Amino acid sequence: MNSKAFHQETIKKILAVDNEISDEVNVRTATAPFQAEFPYERDSEAQVTRREFCNFLFLTSSALFLGAAGFAGKSAYDARSPKIFTPAKIDGAMSIEPGSALNFVYPSEEDTAILIRGIDGTYAAFGQKCTHLSCPVYYSQATDRLECPCHNGGFSPKTGEVLYGPPPRPLDKIELETINGEIFAVKREVRDNEG
Amino acid sequence: MKDNAKPQRPQSRGLSAVWQARLAMLVMINVAQLWILSAAVEAALAQTYSQLAPLVIASGICWLIALSIFLWWRPAGEGGRRY
Repeated sequence: MNSKAFHQETIKKILAVDNEISDEVNVRTATAPFQAEFPYERDSEAQVTRREFCNFLFLTSSALFLGAAGFAGKSAYDARSPKIFTPAKIDGAMSIEPGSALNFVYPSEEDTAILIRGIDGTYAAFGQKCTHLSCPVYYSQATDRLECPCHNGGFSPKTGEVLYGPPPRPLDKIELETINGEIFAVKREVRDNEG
Repeated sequence: MKDNAKPQRPQSRGLSAVWQARLAMLVMINVAQLWILSAAVEAALAQTYSQLAPLVIASGICWLIALSIFLWWRPAGEGGRRY
């Protein structure tokens, strides 16, 4: 036997041994007649080959990367798109009682906001999304504060500044104007920590 | 000479170790990418957009490592064999 034939014989033996000890041979082979229509057994249903699992992990990695990139891209795009502010009447603003609040949207349907009428009768309006994780804030009449129920953040109902909790910056400020006895929202401003 | 030509143990044991290592690394990369995705969601909800680019780059690096593991980090001598 020459050297080349000897090596081929050795490789065949190794492959034969591998096939004997491998636990992943023919896991997808259907043997029973019913498996032609329903080709899974309870025992083999849970079996996944290493190659399949490796493919799954790589696809998961791709999906996570695309998810992060897509989410970041959409957020950045939305943030950079210019907002056009046109005065919008806040329906029902004049009828709310002192010490209560009214929800509205400005400037678009996605931009929720809250109008607060203080005990002294003055009006103030802020974005309703908490600056921590965008949970909606509500006006607590008992404590006279804007509170975020998700992580216990608190804001001043007069200035929108952070009073306590995890929010990193004040609420968006909405400028109001009174025109012909009606209250209009005219501008929405994103503020940083300096207010 | 003949003893040296034969493997002392089944070759698949070494190949299995490499496969396990590949899978373990891919799992760790997936966990890291899951954390990065959650951090990106949190940064976007908090409107701290400056954090988004580094997070996406980190996720992309993780994906490139996963790609290299998937395509090229194969056991030596595996050739076209299927496991």
